Amino acid sequence: MKSLLATLALTTALTLPGLAMARPVTLTTTLNNYGGDGAYLALYVTNASGAYVGSLWLAGGKSKYYEHLSDWYAATGGDLAQINGITGASVGAGRTLEITLDLADALFDAGYTLHIDAAVEDMRDSPNEIAVPLTAAGAGSPVPGRRYIASFTYE
Amino acid sequence: MKILFPILAIAALVPAGMVLADDDDCRAPVGRWQPREAVMALAETRGWTVTEFEIDDGCYEIEASDREGKRFEAKLDPATLEIVEMEGRDRKGRAPGPAPAGTVAPPANGLFGDGAPPAAVTK
Repeated sequence: MKSLLATLALTTALTLPGLAMARPVTLTTTLNNYGGDGAYLALYVTNASGAYVGSLWLAGGKSKYYEHLSDWYAATGGDLAQINGITGASVGAGRTLEITLDLADALFDAGYTLHIDAAVEDMRDSPNEIAVPLTAAGAGSPVPGRRYIASFTYE
Repeated sequence: MKILFPILAIAALVPAGMVLADDDDCRAPVGRWQPREAVMALAETRGWTVTEFEIDDGCYEIEASDREGKRFEAKLDPATLEIVEMEGRDRKGRAPGPAPAGTVAPPANGLFGDGAPPAAVTK
């Protein structure tokens, strides 16, 4: 019985920090009325040295257009395994894409940067349109984009 | 020589991007294009079921499934109906795009704290 209790205590102690190691985050991307087709967006994270860590979302279903998300494509080679299970439809001009997810706690205040590449058919590609450091203090502050994205906020 | 110089001068002003075109573009003049019905007839002879038809980069582009139900995209020259590009019919018959959210687990890249897929809404 003692060993059972000890095991329970140990597993509980190991599990609880695990549960606390993520936080629910909402990523809100609002597009400008740029007057074109739906935008393809790649949301991905790099570490403190600028190396690609992984993708959070890819808006746009046709893989043949992914090369226009040029920084994301350069980092991944267009590898679909990077985005299987985290893709959805492209986002229309003037619309807002809201993504909710449980983001690992270790990403905050540790030099990680969230990037968004954007591309629209027959219009200019816009890699790295958003590059925002993931910090607890930066949550809730809108960041303006350059071409297709009006603003981006994580909170 | 007097004629050659202005031609060279104009050529130098044209940015390289305007000269180069994608390999998968079609260049047949519209007057030589075969009708949409010809594409549908070709698809029928091959046992394809066409679900989408559009024009892209001067080519006919179709989304279809073959006799085994495998999905693919094909670009055809609108004049010759020759296949310019075929995507999505690899040896394993996989679909051309990635798996949409909710159909498979998100990648194990360490970003998703609970391993659950993100939820997205467009407003």
